[in-house]
Amino acid sequence: MAQTFVKKKNESYKESTKKKDVRTTNIEAAKAVADAVRTSLGPRGMDKMVQSANGEVLITNDGATILQKMLVQQPAAKMLVELSKSQDVVAGDGTTSVVVICGALLKKCQELLEKGVHPTVISDSFNKAATKACEVLESISIPVDLADREALLKAATTSLSSKVVSQYSNLLSPMAVDAALKVQNPANPNMLDLNDIKIVNKVGGTVDDSELIDGLVFDQKTAKAAGGPSKMEKAKIGLIQFCLSPPKTDLENNVIVSDYTQMDRVYKEERNYTVGLVKKIKASGCNVLLVQKSILRDALTDLSLHYLAKAKILVIRDIERSDIEYISKTLGCLPIAHVDNMKPEKLGLADLVEEVEVGKGRVVKVTGITNMGRTATVLLRGSNKLVLEEANRSLHDALCVLRCLVQKKFLIAGGSSPESEITYQLSTWGMESFCVRAFAEALEVVPYTLAENAGLNPIQIVTELRNLHARGEKYAGINVKKGSITNMLEENVVQPMLVTSSAITLATETVRMILKIDDIVPTR
Amino acid sequence: MAMSQQSGILGQGAYEERGENARLASFVGAVAIADLVKSTLGPKGMDKILQSMSQGQNVTITNDGATILKSIYIDNPAAKVLVDISKVQDDEVGDGTTSVVVLAGELLREAEQLVAQKIHPMTIIAGYREASDCARKVLETVAMDNRADEAAFRNDLLNIARTTLSSKILTVDKDHFALLAVDAIMRLKGSGNLEAIHIIKKTGGTLRESFLDEGFILDKKIGVGQPKRIENARILVANTAMDTDKIKIYGARVRVDSMSKVAEIEEAEKTKMKEKVNQIIGHDITCFINRQLIYNFPEEIFADAGIMAIEHADFEGIENLALVLGGEITSTFDDPKNVKLGSCKLIEEIMIGEDRLIHFSGVQLGEACTIVLRGASTHILEEADRSLHDALCVLQATVKDSRVIFGGGWPEMKMAKAVEELASKTPGKKSLAMEAFARALRSLPTIICDNAGLDSAEIVSNLRAAHGADPASRMGVDVVLGESGDMNQLGIFECFRVKQAILTSATEAAEMILRVDDIIRCAPRRRQ
Repeated sequence: MAQTFVKKKNESYKESTKKKDVRTTNIEAAKAVADAVRTSLGPRGMDKMVQSANGEVLITNDGATILQKMLVQQPAAKMLVELSKSQDVVAGDGTTSVVVICGALLKKCQELLEKGVHPTVISDSFNKAATKACEVLESISIPVDLADREALLKAATTSLSSKVVSQYSNLLSPMAVDAALKVQNPANPNMLDLNDIKIVNKVGGTVDDSELIDGLVFDQKTAKAAGGPSKMEKAKIGLIQFCLSPPKTDLENNVIVSDYTQMDRVYKEERNYTVGLVKKIKASGCNVLLVQKSILRDALTDLSLHYLAKAKILVIRDIERSDIEYISKTLGCLPIAHVDNMKPEKLGLADLVEEVEVGKGRVVKVTGITNMGRTATVLLRGSNKLVLEEANRSLHDALCVLRCLVQKKFLIAGGSSPESEITYQLSTWGMESFCVRAFAEALEVVPYTLAENAGLNPIQIVTELRNLHARGEKYAGINVKKGSITNMLEENVVQPMLVTSSAITLATETVRMILKIDDIVPTR
Repeated sequence: MAMSQQSGILGQGAYEERGENARLASFVGAVAIADLVKSTLGPKGMDKILQSMSQGQNVTITNDGATILKSIYIDNPAAKVLVDISKVQDDEVGDGTTSVVVLAGELLREAEQLVAQKIHPMTIIAGYREASDCARKVLETVAMDNRADEAAFRNDLLNIARTTLSSKILTVDKDHFALLAVDAIMRLKGSGNLEAIHIIKKTGGTLRESFLDEGFILDKKIGVGQPKRIENARILVANTAMDTDKIKIYGARVRVDSMSKVAEIEEAEKTKMKEKVNQIIGHDITCFINRQLIYNFPEEIFADAGIMAIEHADFEGIENLALVLGGEITSTFDDPKNVKLGSCKLIEEIMIGEDRLIHFSGVQLGEACTIVLRGASTHILEEADRSLHDALCVLQATVKDSRVIFGGGWPEMKMAKAVEELASKTPGKKSLAMEAFARALRSLPTIICDNAGLDSAEIVSNLRAAHGADPASRMGVDVVLGESGDMNQLGIFECFRVKQAILTSATEAAEMILRVDDIIRCAPRRRQ
């Protein structure tokens, strides 16, 4: 086919070499990105230290995070970064695998292109292969019931096993499962909104000290410049969006003081005004006050804090506007935007609001909430910021895994066994297409890399896996801890089907897009 | 040679290119532009990466000729003409933006050879004109019209959508998207208001998960403590400041001599706001949508009144919303009777991917619908959006003018044949130009084959033979099998108006460029 193409006109021949060049550079660049994250795949995967331009250091194992911090220029490389980001959105986990699979597919594409296969032919057959691969995944999946806590635990543990916090997985995974089950709304069984789970980081202690709190945690200290209470039982919590400070109009205003006596009066008036506000708050029965941050003016002044302290009201300041919805949902209270609207029915009730010392800092815990909404708060602890952030990301991944299970209630075995099974099934699907076979071979990159990262002999392992899958052992996968091949279901290594299926479809989509590009045009 | 800078006549910096040189410059420019987009033509056409050289280095990946041409740097007048016709094509019919440029390029390539044979450009133009008239007539006679039969018309639409989409990124799921696009267009019931079709892009998922929603989806949040679900909603769409009604007089300020007076004024401001909110509530509404921010204080009052308040609906969103809900955008609230409220059956929150959106169903403008696109990355989504937009434009053009023709190079072969017959009857040098015109037309199927890596010479000559033997032949290029095939069986249809626009504007552009024998470039304006 390609030969007739060359024969026709001198001119088009030249152009076709240019096309090849653009495609090759694109593929090379994308492969380079994939290689950069390859070593972080799997339980024995290594972490990367990312140093940003402003000198901040980040240590992570999470593919999406690494790629996001990498400043890539090449357009095709950028697409891979995007790919990992969208895997993060869809599934939350498997962000490394998706890039590795994409890199492997591109490598195969290069081989096929060299053999003279037209890019659109490769693209079409990869698409077919991906559809078939998803069918295979469905055929080996195991339905899971959300009431089955064990199964959920297993999935969360698998996801955590590749992270730095893996030794705490027996602590973190139940935490993740409990949090997820708590916010899950029975009225809407196919949805899990992770915004309802708040993770509070606090440096100090070890990850062991992390806990799931039945209630709410504020990262802030109580505001007690004037010696206000820091513990309140039988709390009535008011969430206010107005300011306890001297009045300020939207029009520009000047207070004109013309003589000495007036100055005193202004002071007095300010005091009276503040007292008036505090009295109204007190009258509503409120004894814990959450104050929204204000940019236009001080939300609280020393004076108002003083009076609030006198009135024995616990104050937490600097609540972000974006958190208001979450807080009001959790406490079952309504935000109050004007002091005249301070009514008892808008307050939230809790048994105890208490400032607790956590490591070096302090947090405020609200427990025993009367009408608690479907939310959960996790207080994460760690010896330093880097560990803490990585723990946060890992926990988020675990939660995402659970969300996947809520959306699609199917589990598959882990340890690269699904990839091996797809490879096997696709290669027996018929030799109808050269490209489909290439696709199948490309997927073997997952077991290969997994074995390689674990320090095993990849060739031996992959061959053995192939052999076992051909004999019908669908769930055979790499047991990284033992360094051998075992039945993954017996080892309790499971993952949601959505993670793998979306990784394969998304990677294929990106590969097809890269294949179709034949030119890079500089524009304005 | 002569980049003749005549002494003293033209100002410094300005220069002139004449005769041969000028013509050469425009041929080269136009042909180069056509060659640039040539490879995107046809179902197996390739995409381009557009890399922005300005800050941010944004990357766009596209197959759409108009988008490519719009964004490249050009410093050649003839090339600019081609970019322009592609833009016009985009505005007029929305599709065929590549074809029009390629055809114009081919016409000029042929003309270049004729000029080399010492044929006067005017003779070429005359020949092209007659050929183009003849081709247009042929096009009209071969067009089919299925307007009377609704089922057949819908089938036509589906086929057209599939043909348009087959060259785009959506090609794999073209059946899915063709159905989406046709359903959306059919909902418009011929009103042709593409604005009623709202496209929302959300990363995540695959293209196949894109769907058409019969209603309107707004990418916004509902205020805290307000109802999340309203049935039979009465909606007021407004554009008003809901932070505080500032007196917008320059330098207005308050001078007081005591704190309590400041407090009074603040209170007065609050009361004013409250009154405004109460006025709004007085419209007997259950949902209030504002283009601007709604501040905490009014939000609370709305919440107390059990009214859903949606803030910060962006400009486009709100115009569409007002249109779809059948309301008017209001800014004053003194006279509740004269305000046209929007309404819909149900407002509720839905989740797409990780985001919460507000869904309006059972809206007044029954034509309205929202297409939610899902895809792996923003690049894919952007391109999908462009492709879908093209398909919608073509479908709309078809709804207006229901004539359809076959695709896959079929009309080009027909036209080329008729033009050649005309040439054989025409005495004089004009006939040479007509033959050239026919060759240019035939180069379109040739390029489609080339892009697919097929033996173009073989296929196109087979096609020619088939059309020569049987005047009613339906043969065209079957890219999938790599041979000539029956276009009717393959269901490859195109919109008549698109083809017609391609033919006329490409001929006109070529004509215009051919007439040029002098390029005068003005001196660039000096910047201080």
